[in-house]
Amino acid sequence: MSLLKVENIQKSFGKTQVLKDISFSLEKGEVLAIIGSSGSGKTTLLRCLNFLEAPQGGKITVNGNALLDCGSKTKASDAEIRKNRLHFGLVFQSFNLFPQYRVIENITLAPRMLAKEQIKTSGEFMGAKSYKEALELIETNALSLLDKVGLSEKKDSYPCNLSGGQQQRVAIARALALNPDVLCFDEPTSALDPELTGEVLNVIKGLKSSDSTMIVVTHEIEFARDVADKIIFMADGVIAEEGTPEQVIGNPQNPRTQAFLSRFNQYAK
Amino acid sequence: MNEFINVTGQLLKGFGDNCFIFAITLLLALPLGLIVSMGSMSRFKPLKWLTKAFVWIIRGTPLMLQLFVVFYIPPLVSNGSFNFQRMHAALIAFVINYAAYFSEIYRGGIESIPKGQYEAGQVLGMKKSQIFFKVVLMQVVKRITAPIGNEIITLVKDTSLASVIAIPEILMNAKDFSMEGLIWPLFYSAVFFLAFCGILTLLFSFIEKKLDYYKG
Repeated sequence: MSLLKVENIQKSFGKTQVLKDISFSLEKGEVLAIIGSSGSGKTTLLRCLNFLEAPQGGKITVNGNALLDCGSKTKASDAEIRKNRLHFGLVFQSFNLFPQYRVIENITLAPRMLAKEQIKTSGEFMGAKSYKEALELIETNALSLLDKVGLSEKKDSYPCNLSGGQQQRVAIARALALNPDVLCFDEPTSALDPELTGEVLNVIKGLKSSDSTMIVVTHEIEFARDVADKIIFMADGVIAEEGTPEQVIGNPQNPRTQAFLSRFNQYAK
Repeated sequence: MNEFINVTGQLLKGFGDNCFIFAITLLLALPLGLIVSMGSMSRFKPLKWLTKAFVWIIRGTPLMLQLFVVFYIPPLVSNGSFNFQRMHAALIAFVINYAAYFSEIYRGGIESIPKGQYEAGQVLGMKKSQIFFKVVLMQVVKRITAPIGNEIITLVKDTSLASVIAIPEILMNAKDFSMEGLIWPLFYSAVFFLAFCGILTLLFSFIEKKLDYYKG
């Protein structure tokens, strides 16, 4: 059974149909790269998966649980949407760290609040039985995540004192702290200077080896070829082509994919 | 010398009223303004327009006139059977007036926080209230410190308007001296305002410095 199954997602803003009929599935540990021109619907798709946008049609299933089913009559409550969101993590193009908190607090803020709530309702949070125990767990977890993204020595810094690349690495650690089933990246390096993209891409590549399931919307074609197990090329709200990196990037069949990639190759050498 | 001590005492007594109006207005108008700003940002359109109309009327008419309205209208419409005490009338007018101004400062601050901050909270599974209080509010406070400080310093001097409904505040006392032929207390009263505003200025630059530990 696939970890993530997306079926027939449709999304319009007013009269503009941004996602026409998107379906794909993802196995545990797989990395999916989504490429395509601006305005093709890549970001909207990620936002639908993270419940930041409500699609008008389609179904999203994680581990066999339908998180979203536009066909069903009942509308999800705020609390349900909040719970559904925890299956996904999202790393934004513009980082969106909380500027008033230190790096470590950025990572622990949401887990701390969630722990308080879950211990009150179910008496447990990620195996911890008391809030105090949970706090220790959250702290240790955050420190090991910071270590993973190579920023242990920055744990007490404020985001404004970090470079863009460092901020994005903190954002990745923050998204990982809630242990999402699928971690999504929305053009994680587009807001960075070229010399800073490498450090972020390397962190993402490192996550692949630790078996994280990821969806990466990116303009870094070489990175997609290197890291992705699967590539989707989107154009005008539909999946124009999908397959392995060799198929989509190495030997594209759809003329639109060919045109898109040739524009990239023009300056690649 | 005796005259100086007598005048100072009288002015100080009046300035007590100014300080009282100042303190109570701040205490009530700061939270009330937040509620009003929520109304003006509400997605429920009737509430939004009602709040906007309220803010328009309060900001669009002189505070002096509002003091008259609160003090004189109730006895007029009730044929004299109901009226506010002078100080109560003054406080009501000041609190409502300042809440309207504060609400617009809050609204500007809240709307200036990038959408990404809310979305980052959302994808981390936070509730709306958690996002507002734990993520957004501190950033709003930092952004509105300067305009709120400005408004609060205006309030110090506006308290003198209470004299129009015969509250014996400092300027009224000073004017009483001038009617008796003693003109200098009128100008001397400036010292009290200057001292008070000086302290507030220092306080606000201290707060701004405290909030300067991060940017954004």
